Amino acid sequence: MLQVRGLHYRYPAAAAPALVDFSLEARRGEILGLLGPNGAGKSTLVAHLAGLLQADGGQIEVDGEALAALRRRTPGCIAIAPQDFAFYPMLSVAENLRCFAAASRLSGAAARQAIARTLAATRLEDFAGTRAEHLSGGLKRRLNLAIALLPTPALLVLDEPTVGVDPQSRAFLLDTVRALAASGMGVIYASHYMEEIEAIADRVVIVDHGRVLCQGSLAELLAQARGHVELQLEVPLDAAALKALAGEIDGRLEVAGVHLKLELAADASPVAALARIEARGGRIRDARFGRHSLERLFMRLTDTRLRDH
Amino acid sequence: MLRALIRKELLALLRDPHALAALFVMPAAFIVIMSLALQNLYAPPLRQLAYAIDSAKDSPAARRISATWATAHGSPRPLPATPGEVDEALRQGRLAYVLTLDASLADALGELDPPRAPVVRLRVEPGLDQGAFRTLQAELAGAVGELRAALLQASLTGESPRGSQSILPFMAVEQLGRALRPVSAVQQNVPAWLVFGMFFVVTAISSLFVQEQHSGALARLAALGVPERIQILAKALPYVGINAIQAALMLTVGCALMPLLGGEALSLAGIHWPALLMMLAATSVAAIGFALLLACLVRTHAQANTLGPLCNLLMAALGGIMVPTFVMPGLMQQLARLSPMNWGLEGLLTVLLRHGDVAEAAPWALRLALFGILGLALASRLFSRRITP
Repeated sequence: MLQVRGLHYRYPAAAAPALVDFSLEARRGEILGLLGPNGAGKSTLVAHLAGLLQADGGQIEVDGEALAALRRRTPGCIAIAPQDFAFYPMLSVAENLRCFAAASRLSGAAARQAIARTLAATRLEDFAGTRAEHLSGGLKRRLNLAIALLPTPALLVLDEPTVGVDPQSRAFLLDTVRALAASGMGVIYASHYMEEIEAIADRVVIVDHGRVLCQGSLAELLAQARGHVELQLEVPLDAAALKALAGEIDGRLEVAGVHLKLELAADASPVAALARIEARGGRIRDARFGRHSLERLFMRLTDTRLRDH
Repeated sequence: MLRALIRKELLALLRDPHALAALFVMPAAFIVIMSLALQNLYAPPLRQLAYAIDSAKDSPAARRISATWATAHGSPRPLPATPGEVDEALRQGRLAYVLTLDASLADALGELDPPRAPVVRLRVEPGLDQGAFRTLQAELAGAVGELRAALLQASLTGESPRGSQSILPFMAVEQLGRALRPVSAVQQNVPAWLVFGMFFVVTAISSLFVQEQHSGALARLAALGVPERIQILAKALPYVGINAIQAALMLTVGCALMPLLGGEALSLAGIHWPALLMMLAATSVAAIGFALLLACLVRTHAQANTLGPLCNLLMAALGGIMVPTFVMPGLMQQLARLSPMNWGLEGLLTVLLRHGDVAEAAPWALRLALFGILGLALASRLFSRRITP
């Protein structure tokens, strides 16, 4: 559906480009998780998809048609739900929806139907008359999403859609996004919340410094860190036991008190490693295998240093 | 689409009490306050000033000049007992002025030669304004001149003059176009603060614009394919209506409210209505063009809330809104011509005071329209920069 190929963009007077040879693909009925730290280039890509920036190089196409041409014909084909609350706080939910429905070239019965549909999809019917400034963070996120859904887009781009919401609202938003994808809509879900991407994305693209670092299905990416094991022991192992374990385990061992991290070799079994630890006197309180691996992969790819932006 | 975006602008304005106050309450309040406060600048209340007459000799000439003065200025207050107390009464402002009539008043005025020393003195309190002082001086010169003419006629011809010796029957004073009523504070202040209020759309326009930029609403509208010209038009058109309501309100305040508050009424009798509408439209174009340009220049709410009002205050101070240009020295009057608010004020004064028609007001309207169009053109160029991240 959406093909981004070799996209390149540098902001005026910026020292480094914001996007470098950036390529990805989004498909109908699929959620593409776009994962990257702050300043990675996610919002710049979203601005290109929104038609707000002109790329210095590369192409963006939807079903083989240049995005710019498609946007001229049907501006609502790709809808953006930005990270900010991009609506009018002094207007009510319904007034906001009417305003953006008109901006989406919807009028009369079509506008009324679209507003009713989006109010229902985001469960905002009871708040139609409430001014947006009086909504909670979660309700504001839902209004942000409702506005994006007005023109019935083929592709929905969500930029950090769950920032500042409570767990219930987060779960509702994720369910809503899943339902939209299930209905055939393509979804690009940009976030730096790894657990959300893991929970929702069919495929994942990890980006940093304007470049795509890796992409693939969630299973493919997780497989890259399959040998990662995290353990918490009842009491620390003594030095002799640790020295012995380092020689016995087929992989690398990191120790910090009662916390052990294992990076097992490709064919090594985690069960065998746990058995050796128990044999050396280790009493395991907690063991994690295959969890947080996306986070570790992300941190490994994007560097663990603190970002200033 | 345009209608929905205009509706959004109006709803946002209606729900912003500060912007409404700046647009409607502030200029109306300024008209009332400044018209009442400056009433005396245009018509000094000479009759209300407390004065005393210090006559050294109870002569017919002294009685006559005292009577003439009392007719125009009311009865004098009792003269303090000693010269020191007179000075103290003046210094404290309990007496606004004292007329001192010398004992040789009648003799000196009846002589052909000038006196060796003044025989009438006007001493005023330190705080008396220059307008009132000069008016008193002129009235006293007239009264003394009339008395001298009568005394000289009597001494030269031996006959007392018949009837009044007032010089006024010999002359006529007419202010062109306003033979019946001199310029009042209301007639200066209504157009002045109306122009000021119309330019205050800058605060409302730039505040919402900054909010739209920061929230991403502008970018969202652009992403939905709303053309920039529609977005700009949707911001400009509502404020043409707002400016029209302001004009109707301020003129009503001048015509109907001011007389109820003890001020003079603004008179619209005999004015050229097409010229007035042209001036109001041109002022609106200038105000909105300037507001949109400033809205595209500022980046934060703090800038929007300070830069717009600051520019307005400077244009008002320079342009004769706060201080009428006719009291300014020559250089300042020339500088006032640089302020668009001055163009609006002069154009409205041309229509309201001088009863000028379209042709006479056109130079001011043209300047305002060009200023507004230039602002709109520059705002259009800057607009897209405010949408992109």
